[in-house]
Amino acid sequence: MTVKVEVIEGGIPHNKIMIAGIVSTLVCLYLTYLNVLTSTEMFSFFGGLAVVAALLWGSHTIKVLCSYGIGTGVPSAGMIAFGSGVIAMLLATKFGILAPIVAAVLAAVIGFILGYVSNNILNMKIPTMVQSLTEMAVVGALTLMGFAALMTGGFTFAGLTTGHVTSLGMVLLTHQQSFLGGCLIAVAFLLGAIAIQHPFNACLGPGWKQDRMLMLTAECGFLSMLVAAVMSFALISTGSAIISLVIAIIGWAYTYKEYMVMSKRDAAAWLDAKPIPDVEGH
Amino acid sequence: MSAVAAKPTAGSAMNPTAMAVGVVLLLILLGIAYYVYPAGLIPLLLIIVGGVLIGFGVHFVPVGGAPAAMGQAPGIATGVAMLAAGGGLAGLFGGAWAAAAGQDALVVVITGGIGGGLMMAITCMMVNFVYVFGMGIPAASGKVAKDPITGDTQAEYKSQGTEGHGLPFISFVGGVIGGLFAGAGGTLIYLELLNVYQAALPAVMGITAAQVMPIAVSAAGMFAVGLFLVNAVLTAYNITGTIEGPHDPKFKRWPRSVVASAVASALCGLVAILIVAM
Repeated sequence: MTVKVEVIEGGIPHNKIMIAGIVSTLVCLYLTYLNVLTSTEMFSFFGGLAVVAALLWGSHTIKVLCSYGIGTGVPSAGMIAFGSGVIAMLLATKFGILAPIVAAVLAAVIGFILGYVSNNILNMKIPTMVQSLTEMAVVGALTLMGFAALMTGGFTFAGLTTGHVTSLGMVLLTHQQSFLGGCLIAVAFLLGAIAIQHPFNACLGPGWKQDRMLMLTAECGFLSMLVAAVMSFALISTGSAIISLVIAIIGWAYTYKEYMVMSKRDAAAWLDAKPIPDVEGH
Repeated sequence: MSAVAAKPTAGSAMNPTAMAVGVVLLLILLGIAYYVYPAGLIPLLLIIVGGVLIGFGVHFVPVGGAPAAMGQAPGIATGVAMLAAGGGLAGLFGGAWAAAAGQDALVVVITGGIGGGLMMAITCMMVNFVYVFGMGIPAASGKVAKDPITGDTQAEYKSQGTEGHGLPFISFVGGVIGGLFAGAGGTLIYLELLNVYQAALPAVMGITAAQVMPIAVSAAGMFAVGLFLVNAVLTAYNITGTIEGPHDPKFKRWPRSVVASAVASALCGLVAILIVAM
C-alpha cells in the first residue's frame, strides 16, 4: 500500500471537475456537428474548446493519480492516456454521429482493463489507479477527437481520411491530404500528450494550488489549439481556420496573463528583472 | 510517514489470482478476435508477441531517473517511458523504412531491432561521455560486487552515500539488448497492422490499394506508437523507478510484465484490428 504524498486541500472536488469535463467536452464536440447541419466549416473551433475542456479534466486526474508517488514520472501518465486513447478514438470514428460517445465508452473499457492490469497484475496497489487510468483514456480519446474536429471540421472516419486538392481549377478527392493520411494525427497526439502532463509536472510541490494548475492547463490547451488551428488551414476553408486561430490567440493571451498573475500571487517574492539590463557609463 | 519515505512499495510479489485473471482475459480477447474477424487472429497473436517483446526488453534498459542526473545512481538520467519511447520509436522508423523498401518480414523486424539497439548504444555511449568527462564520475554499479561480464570490481569506484553512478559495462550491454527487443517488438506490431490494413481497407473504404497506402501507413504507425507507449508505461509501472540492467534484482519482476503486456497488447491490438471488421 502506497502512502499518499500530497493532499488536496480546498479547491473544487475531483468528481465535480470530472463531470463538468466530460459534459462540456461532449457538448463542444457535438457543437462541431453544426458544420454538417449548416454546410459550413465555421464551427470547427468548438473542437479546440473541447480539447481545452478535456485537458482541464485530464490534468486534474493526473494530479489525483500522481499524488501517490508512482515512481515513473508524471509524463508517463500523459503517454498512457494518449496511447490508449488514440486506439479507442480511431475505432469510434467509424460510428458516425455517435463517435464521441462511442469513443468515451470504448476508451473507458480500455482504460479500466489497463487499470486492472497495472493495479493487480503489476501489483501497484494504488487506490485510485483503476479510476484514474479509465478517466485518462477517455480524456486522451476525446482530446484527439477534438483536435480532429478542429482540423477537419468533423469527426467521422470518412472525414478524417479524405481531403480535397485544387489542381488547375479542378477539385480532386485525395487521401494523402487528410487528418489521417497526412499523419496530422501524430502531431495532435503529441500536442495533447505534452499539454496534459505539463501542468501538474510544472506546478507540483508543497505550493500546489488548484486554480493555478488548471489555469496553466487552459494555457497549454489554447497553445496547442493555436498550433492545430494553423495546421487546419490545410484542410478547411481559410475563413473558418481564421476563426479558430483568433479564438485560440485570445484564449491563450487571456489564460497566460491570468497564469502570470496567479504565479506572482503564489510566489514568496518576485523581482521583475529585465532580460537585458541597461548598462550605463559605457 | 513523511513524503520522502513514501517510496512506491509495489514489491516483487506476484499476485497469482490476478495473473490467472490476466490469462483468462487474454484468451477471451483472442476468442473475440477469432469470432469477429478470423483473418485477424494470426496478426493479433504476432501483435501480442511484439508487445511482450517490448515489455520484456524494457527491463534490460538501465533507467536512472533523477538520481542518475545527480550522479547518485547508475543508469541513463531519464524515466522508463521516455527511454523506451526513444529506443523503440527509433527501431520503428528503421523497420518502417525496411518495410517500405519491400523487404520480407524477418528482415524488417531485424532491421527494427537493430535500429532500436543502435539508438540505445549511441545514447549509452554519449551518456557515459557526459558522466566521465562532464561530471567527472567513474562508472560503478551499486547492486553487484563484480561486473558479471568483465569481472571488474565495482566497490572501489563507488562513492559513499550513492547507489553507484555512471553507466557500467553490464548496463551498457543491457541497454543495447533492451533496444534490440523493444525495436523488434514495435516493428512487428507495425508490420502486422500494416498488412491487415493494406489487405482489408480498400474493400472497406471502396478505394484502390494505391489510394489506401497513406491511410494504412499512418494508421498502422499511429497504432504502433500507441501500443508501444502503453506497453512501455506498464513496464515502467512494473519497475517503479530505477533499474540498473539485467543484473538488478528488480529484473526478476519480468514475468508480471509479460502477462500485463500480453493482455494490454491483445486488448489494444483487437480494437485496432476491429477498424477493418466494422
